[in-house]
Amino acid sequence: MSDRNSDVGGIPIEEVVVEASEAVRKDKQTRTPDSTWVRTFDHFRREWQIYAMLLPTIIWFLVFLYKPMYGLQIAFKDYSIFRGAAGSPWIGFEHFETLFNNDQFIRAVKNTITISFYNLLFGFPAPIILALMFNEVLHATYKRTAQTIVYLPHFISSVIIAGIVITAFSPTVGVINTIMGWFGLDPIYFLTQPEWFRPIFVGTGIWQEAGFGSIVFLAAIAGVNPSLYESAVVDGANRWQMMWKITIPSILPTILIMLIIRIGNVMEVSFELVILLYQPATYETADVVNTWVYRQGLQSGQYDLAAAAGLFNAVVAFTLVMTANTLSRRFSRTSLW
Amino acid sequence: MRKLTIAATLLAGSAITTPAFADGHLRISEEPIELTIQMNHRAYPIYDEEWPVEQVARELTGIHLINDTVGANMRSDENTGRTEALNLMLASGSIPDIVGSSRIRDFVNQFGPEGAFVPLNDLIEEHAPNIAAYYATRPDIEAAVKASDGQMYYIPYLPDGKYGRGYWIRTDWLEALDLEVPQTVEEYENVLRAFKTQDPNGNGLADEVPFFARQWPELIRLVTLWDGRAHGSDTYHDFLIEDGKIDHGYIGEGYRDGIANLARWYEEGLIDAEVFTRGSSARDFLLSENLGGSTHDWFASTSGYNRLSSEIDGFAFEAFLPPASPSGRRIEEHRRILVKPDGWAIGFENEHVVETIKYFDFWFSEEGRRLANFGVEGQQYDMVDGEPIFKQEFLDQGPVNRSLYQVGAQLQGRGYFQDYAYEAQWSNEFALEGIALYDTMPDLLIPDFLGVAFTPEEQAIYDRTWGSIRDYMLERQQGWILGNGDVMEDWDAYIAQLDEMGMQELLVVMQTAYDRQYGG
Amino acid sequence: MSGVNLDGIVKAYGALQVVHGIDLNVAEKEFVVLVGPSGCGKSTTLRMVAGLEEITDGDLTIDGRRMNRVAPKDRDVAMVFQNYALYPHLNVADNMAFGLRIRKMPKAEIKTTIDDVAEILGLTPYLDRRPADLSGGQRQRVAMGRAIVRHPKVFLFDEPLSNLDAKLRTQMRAEIKRLHNRLGVTSIYVTHDQVEAMTLADRIVVMNDGRIEQVGTPMELFNNPANTFVAGFLGSPPMNQMKGVITDGGARIGDAEIKIDGQTADHVGRDVIVGIRPEHVTLGADETTSTLPINLDLVEPLGSEALLHARHGDDNLVFKADTNGDINHLSGVDAVHVPSHLVKVFDAETGRALSMGA
Repeated sequence: MSDRNSDVGGIPIEEVVVEASEAVRKDKQTRTPDSTWVRTFDHFRREWQIYAMLLPTIIWFLVFLYKPMYGLQIAFKDYSIFRGAAGSPWIGFEHFETLFNNDQFIRAVKNTITISFYNLLFGFPAPIILALMFNEVLHATYKRTAQTIVYLPHFISSVIIAGIVITAFSPTVGVINTIMGWFGLDPIYFLTQPEWFRPIFVGTGIWQEAGFGSIVFLAAIAGVNPSLYESAVVDGANRWQMMWKITIPSILPTILIMLIIRIGNVMEVSFELVILLYQPATYETADVVNTWVYRQGLQSGQYDLAAAAGLFNAVVAFTLVMTANTLSRRFSRTSLW
Repeated sequence: MRKLTIAATLLAGSAITTPAFADGHLRISEEPIELTIQMNHRAYPIYDEEWPVEQVARELTGIHLINDTVGANMRSDENTGRTEALNLMLASGSIPDIVGSSRIRDFVNQFGPEGAFVPLNDLIEEHAPNIAAYYATRPDIEAAVKASDGQMYYIPYLPDGKYGRGYWIRTDWLEALDLEVPQTVEEYENVLRAFKTQDPNGNGLADEVPFFARQWPELIRLVTLWDGRAHGSDTYHDFLIEDGKIDHGYIGEGYRDGIANLARWYEEGLIDAEVFTRGSSARDFLLSENLGGSTHDWFASTSGYNRLSSEIDGFAFEAFLPPASPSGRRIEEHRRILVKPDGWAIGFENEHVVETIKYFDFWFSEEGRRLANFGVEGQQYDMVDGEPIFKQEFLDQGPVNRSLYQVGAQLQGRGYFQDYAYEAQWSNEFALEGIALYDTMPDLLIPDFLGVAFTPEEQAIYDRTWGSIRDYMLERQQGWILGNGDVMEDWDAYIAQLDEMGMQELLVVMQTAYDRQYGG
Repeated sequence: MSGVNLDGIVKAYGALQVVHGIDLNVAEKEFVVLVGPSGCGKSTTLRMVAGLEEITDGDLTIDGRRMNRVAPKDRDVAMVFQNYALYPHLNVADNMAFGLRIRKMPKAEIKTTIDDVAEILGLTPYLDRRPADLSGGQRQRVAMGRAIVRHPKVFLFDEPLSNLDAKLRTQMRAEIKRLHNRLGVTSIYVTHDQVEAMTLADRIVVMNDGRIEQVGTPMELFNNPANTFVAGFLGSPPMNQMKGVITDGGARIGDAEIKIDGQTADHVGRDVIVGIRPEHVTLGADETTSTLPINLDLVEPLGSEALLHARHGDDNLVFKADTNGDINHLSGVDAVHVPSHLVKVFDAETGRALSMGA
């Protein structure tokens, strides 16, 4: 970026200034052998606008990402809010031992991964399929209306979503059980059945987010060169072949990037929605790390234990992202970094 | 407009009250002292210096409270909402002179010994005659307030009155089906079954919900009908105390039998099929739709639903005595607890500790207690025959508790002794009748577990075991009722699993703490 | 009856007609170039032949078969696009094989075909590369390769060279020409560049505003433009056009009198446009030339030639002159000499060429 900027209007400013500073250097050669400072100073004087633009980002990172990392140490301390992070005594890995000696925490980790896996398996392709389907809709008004309808749930708060789900799956008045009743099936109290929690939760997630998530893929599809399709038409491809052989490969980089990001969030199962939908009766399949931490840790002010669990989450997520990114880079030349 | 009203009433209030307090016997300091205060509660997120009650207290005592609340929020959720503001305050690095909040006990009992709050034992003895006098009559409550180091760190809110929740039933349905008010659990079951099968609402559908609850743990409460125990205090799933011994309801055989019966009831449709997910609107919905038959809920608010008689012909929802268990015992497990974990404490940076404890004591004096309960004389109430009686126009303003919050009375973030007379004045006749009915049975209520304070070592064991144990118990409990497993068959394995998870160890810790706190 | 035949082809978008009835017969193995300014309808016409645009009216026949309602894939045409339309996720071999796979050609056959074509185009070393790793010229070759492997009856080129730099364009132009000579497939080629048109075409179709202005071999069009538009479009720089009036034996342009071959007597007094190609003037006079005085503005050396920018009256004119290795002698030029047999005359009103024949 700085290269391009210093070359405005095709005039090699760089050279001119270097010459000037060389002149300075020659002049001072005997007195100041250290020319690095002069160069650095010149560099900043010349490029200060760029650094000024960079500054807000650096500050944001320092304040909101790096400074909080200081607080991570409480995962290894017997933390008291009153004594503060620095004043609390070190206790090593005790919190981690507590976590891994707790069967319910282990279960919560398994549940988190299982739910995330289902989310990936079913929830990730959903917006892509939706975007591909929207792309095939030619009637503009119909398309816009349909898109608006599927985007809407994204803007509804989790509390309302949970209310809708609870009502829909109610054994007495719920629409699902009513429909089942037409086919002579007995009503099921879905939200208290452990085996039903994951399908309902994952399905709710898809219903809520697939539409909104399709926007990024629609944007990617819009970026595909239209003459690729024309060329394929002349070559004799039908719509189905064009989707498989042109559209999907063309948006594959976007898909992979979204997938890597998604994998990085594997440990972050939508905590609010779980809290709102689960019951002790469904803890078996529904309890995830965050809800477990919420019940165990925050209740009695055990921020240190919560921090340990959070750190564990972060390490798992980091490992997964690194792995996914490396694999993606190796096999598809697409990667986050 | 509202500002103006307050200002006007203030003026009027002080004009009336000034002569009465002219002797100044309540004055703590000649020179006004300003003390900062943190007070967060879902109904009044900050301390309002304009509250008439605060204004009068200022004038009487010379102590001015200045709002300094950090992290004010109106969240009411059990886990974080109530203590979030306290944690934020602590994290901010400074503590105001006075800290008042709901759920303050565990907080001050943890951070008091670390030095964040001033220990109160000696201060009470030397400077707080009213509080000391109260504790002299209730040593059990004094013990309940103490931290593990034997010190008191907060002055609690002490509720008054005996009954909280009671059993309620559609007496008009009983009449329609020609049934008597059930006196035993067997009769109760028959009544619920009749509600289910005999169409008391007369719409031709078997859509009646015989038993329902706004909070599903109230369903678990029914195990008391089979001599089990559910909740040992007004906190759900809490430990219980019986003859000086700590125990937990969910490991008792009465509980096992009760759950077995409740599972049967559920299977048979005597219990709301959606009891676990219906949530807080259950009572409102099921009663106004003419579907709900019976519940276990608060006297005051539940009696109010009799207003539905204007819409539903003959509607009558009345309290009845807890049905007797097969062994013939009647208990009402829920009661108004004697001491709440709410109240206020003195921050360690307070430079007027003695004046502050005197100020706390003021609220336990006759004048102070009346001020905390009824508001300001001439504004909210008048003295009639030596008793404070609310003005009718004040009662007509809407929900009385909310109106009282708005003038700074009945604040649970303040340590004070409630006077049930305040509530009796505006309770519904159905509530009063129900309470009178319950009063005919002297042994209905059982002692609450008032909580214990742990040493750090005990706390560690509690933290490690209790959360998992509670989760497991609730998981099994719901499962059994929903028909996933049979409690009778699973019971031994259940108890074994709990022991595996440290239940016995936890009970020993609880007992040790209890013995230390309440003197064995 | 092979080749492509357009008979009264019309394209309209709703009420807006953009192609007003094209009649054109492209013979088998012929290379026809559609040329014209942007927006003249040449690309639209090509896309109608390809089947990418519906034909509003008229008949399109390829190889004797009416194609109006035939799907693009069944027209047996192959198209090369301006931006190459290469699939970025496929390598060169797969890009070329795309159409063959769609047509379910056996694998072995695909391979030999690709290898052959890659050899012809010099792409053999690059078969495993992705388009992103190729130069512009290589990409262009792949795009052509993709068309060639199909062995279509007709090649359609839609400005295939316009994304290349000038040097590469010259090179590729020659390659296309060689390829056509070798393969001998009927080709329709669209460009806005008259040099490409001149160099590549067997016949040029000059289009303007949705109509054909003139059809002919490059030299026919160059020597005998049918109207001022064609005259101004072909040639570099284009033909100088000056307002004039016919006199007996010539034309008066301002104060100059230019001799014209042929019979002018019937047209005396007629307002005309006189056209003189920049390269047709000489600096020296002889008996067949007439003198056109000019005010020289600027001399642009091109090497062996130089462009003289000059004015005569209100007309801005450009002429070409030999430099003979030096431009100093050109700075004093104050008149050019116009050979009478090379002067073109157009009707001032219609712009049509006027024949002054015997």
